[in-house]
Amino acid sequence: MGLKFAKFIRKIETEVVVARDSFQVEAADRGKLSEEFVKKSAVLYITEEFGKKNALREGEIVKVTRGGRSVNLRVVYNDTAPSEGAMMPNSIYANYLTDFDSFKRFRVTIEIADGNVTTPSEIIELIKSG
Amino acid sequence: MICTGCSCLCDDIVVDGGVRNACRRGAGIFRFVNEGRAKPMINGEVVDFEKAMDAAGDIIGNSEKLAVYGLDTTTVEAQQKAIELAKTKEAYIDDNSSFCLGDFVELILKEELPTTTLDEVRNNAYVVFYWGTDVYHSLSRHMSRFTYYPRGGKRQRGYEEDRFLVVVDVRRSHTAKLAKKNARFIEVGDDLELIDAILKVLDGKAPEKFAKDAVRIVKEMQKADFNVIIGGLGLKYGLKGDYQQFLEFVRRVNEVTNLYFIPAGCHPNMRGFNQLLFEKTGHVNRYSFRDEEAGEKFAFPKLLEDGEIDAALIVGTDPVNSLPFDIAKKLKDIKTILIDPRQSLTAEIADVVLPSAISGLETGGTMIRIDGVKVELAPFLEKKPDDVSIISSLLEAV
Repeated sequence: MGLKFAKFIRKIETEVVVARDSFQVEAADRGKLSEEFVKKSAVLYITEEFGKKNALREGEIVKVTRGGRSVNLRVVYNDTAPSEGAMMPNSIYANYLTDFDSFKRFRVTIEIADGNVTTPSEIIELIKSG
Repeated sequence: MICTGCSCLCDDIVVDGGVRNACRRGAGIFRFVNEGRAKPMINGEVVDFEKAMDAAGDIIGNSEKLAVYGLDTTTVEAQQKAIELAKTKEAYIDDNSSFCLGDFVELILKEELPTTTLDEVRNNAYVVFYWGTDVYHSLSRHMSRFTYYPRGGKRQRGYEEDRFLVVVDVRRSHTAKLAKKNARFIEVGDDLELIDAILKVLDGKAPEKFAKDAVRIVKEMQKADFNVIIGGLGLKYGLKGDYQQFLEFVRRVNEVTNLYFIPAGCHPNMRGFNQLLFEKTGHVNRYSFRDEEAGEKFAFPKLLEDGEIDAALIVGTDPVNSLPFDIAKKLKDIKTILIDPRQSLTAEIADVVLPSAISGLETGGTMIRIDGVKVELAPFLEKKPDDVSIISSLLEAV
């Protein structure tokens, strides 16, 4: 097993663009708590070049943070992501991080995380608990 | 069949065991018609529909500051009933367009922004801008049915020779990747810089940024008498509220050629709601029947944020999924009734959930396409209750 030294030093600050994804919208019709919807929504799209430059490998779980709030997302390489930055599908995950002052583009920090992606139920519980 | 998956309202869908002609999004609606459906609920517990209706009636009856919100995925007939309900209760009414493309629709309805229909675009448009919108994903058949690829009218040679595509975006989206032949992709950081560059070219000056692109675009637009901008959320937020600069840009281009604008709205009947409310109040959204005026302070997210409402009737939209968390969490501070065909994330926190038929698939009615064209729906299934009957019953109860 390789040592994950980078885990302790990698913290990238970058811009995220929120975009539509027809695959994710299609999954929404099967239910927004469905495995398929989570798989298509709890993702951080980056280009392979950006990933290599910042040592972010496809499939890794990353903690994406803005304004003291974080979600865990899976890194997916996608050549339509911004060349310097990342892209998230429009969903409860993006909206957990955003506000109306920077609704579709905002700055985040990204760091490697352990565990799984955040589920919509975890965010809903935060709403329920006030 | 009409597909109500997005604002294209495609009218050539065939359902015959499979689903033909639809895009991925549209096909999904038909294929998964029975999946993820909502159930009548009170506080998360499944109950009889009638019991849920009674609870919803009580909430509305007892509310002193009600907001009616959503409505962009339902029919004009249901929107009509919702407006009546809001008026009766002296409530606030708003839809997603208040943070989506409602500003552009209002400018169109006030005739401050020249517009056209998608059919006219198919037959006449030469330069087609997709500005701040990735229609490949959001309106997947837009380019093939209406704008770039089809032949029609004066444009019999299609995209090979008779169209010029301009995609403006902050990233090389899938739509931008289609900008190959007779096309330009312009990657912007600040949309206002591109507008400024085109205005400078029109003034006969050399812009500092986008010089080559701006000159080419103006030259191409002048080749034809019909050009169109399909503008999306990227453009809206890129303008940073400076619509005057955009209107000036359109006005100036129209001095040398014809340029029209159509919003790239996603919701199938956002235009219907905007148009209906405009006819009744002179405003497209964010309206208070109590104050008889519209304004930013009456936008549903703002009402929530400011604690100005005690209950909300939410129809066919999912604010827990689509609003910023700080605002969405305030839904728990008020009573919420959700009318929706699907078990959305908002259904997880709503006080009352009322399941309804899917407009266009399970119930008929009218929708207004994003370019203002009226479309009659042709359902292939029948399911009750629909949004009209539910909202009518609530209206009777109050």
